[in-house]
Amino acid sequence: MKKYYLFLSLVALLSFSCEKDDVCPATTQTTPRMVIEFYDIAAPEEIKLVPGLFAIGVDSNGNEVPIHNELVSTRSFIALPLQNNSNQTQFKLYESYDLIDSIVNGNPDTISITYEIETVYLSRACGYINNYSIQTFSIASESERWMNNSEVLITQVTNENEIHVKVLH
Amino acid sequence: MTLNAQEAETEVKDSIVVQEKYGMRLGADLSKITRSFIGKDYMGFEINGDYRLSKRLYIAGEIGSEKKTSTNNYLSSTAKGTYLKAGVDYNMYENWAGMENLIYSGLRFGLANFNQNLNSYTIYDTNSVTWGQNEVIDNEKFSGLTSGWIELLLGLKTEVLKNLFLGLNLQIKARLFESQPDNFENIYIPGFGRTYDSGKFSVGFGYNISYLIPLYRKDR
Repeated sequence: MKKYYLFLSLVALLSFSCEKDDVCPATTQTTPRMVIEFYDIAAPEEIKLVPGLFAIGVDSNGNEVPIHNELVSTRSFIALPLQNNSNQTQFKLYESYDLIDSIVNGNPDTISITYEIETVYLSRACGYINNYSIQTFSIASESERWMNNSEVLITQVTNENEIHVKVLH
Repeated sequence: MTLNAQEAETEVKDSIVVQEKYGMRLGADLSKITRSFIGKDYMGFEINGDYRLSKRLYIAGEIGSEKKTSTNNYLSSTAKGTYLKAGVDYNMYENWAGMENLIYSGLRFGLANFNQNLNSYTIYDTNSVTWGQNEVIDNEKFSGLTSGWIELLLGLKTEVLKNLFLGLNLQIKARLFESQPDNFENIYIPGFGRTYDSGKFSVGFGYNISYLIPLYRKDR
């Protein structure tokens, strides 16, 4: 009986020490990106594909910052990572992006997002994530804008499963 | 004749009177002191004591203080505070005459009063490759935290020199309550140990040295 008790205690000790509490699982909901969906300017309720859509980040000094895993493709929505340590992020969104002999073709429009950051505790292994509260979403005015209008649908960016901003083109 | 012999035998048996020491045992946890010197992320000590009530039963308790820094890829925090544990030990060991060792199981109720400092964190963001990631030095202190737990012990105490005991014990703890810091959680609770995502349990161990102050002797 005593031996059994001791054995049980040892098993308990081992199982506790093997726990993977300190490794953040890859499946964990991370800091969400902002999701934009594109709609038809002629029929604002209808989703419209953007041919050759490509996004690139623009830092506070105006330098271009490539977005990780961003590829040119024709699609109707895009998820963009906001800066974690700033209240503003800018992107260039290209329509019909093409790179021929190092020359960029396509129509870039600059968007700028201002937001407030809320730090949310997740777990001991993953620590904190950011949630964003969109304050403004603007498209820089220029002569050849392909994005005509925008509307912030959901100001609270807490996950990537919903559309935060609707853009008409 | 036969009757007399029987009476004589009974008398002989009665004359072997084994007495045991009753008193107060006081000691300290050596493992906590050792850990304090080995690692930079831990400081702690514990004073323990017991008082013998009967042949097998002791009132027992511990009082201690701990400071522990826990760090992983995303988070660094330091818990600091004091704790008190009170309960009983029950000696399961049948000693030979003249020996007073213990193999015991114990029960404790523990209470900790502590604070937790969030030293720094890095925002968990799998898309951070684009803009880069930076560690936020926060230094936010969550004070006035409390937690209570129940603890089962299994241990032994051996008299190595007259009245001087060395002891080992294993503790299994179940948290009954805790006050959680706002937008954070208790990573480590002094006296209880580290917490786990999966539940309210934790384990611990002690390696004690203690001295028995004998107060009186009593027949076994």
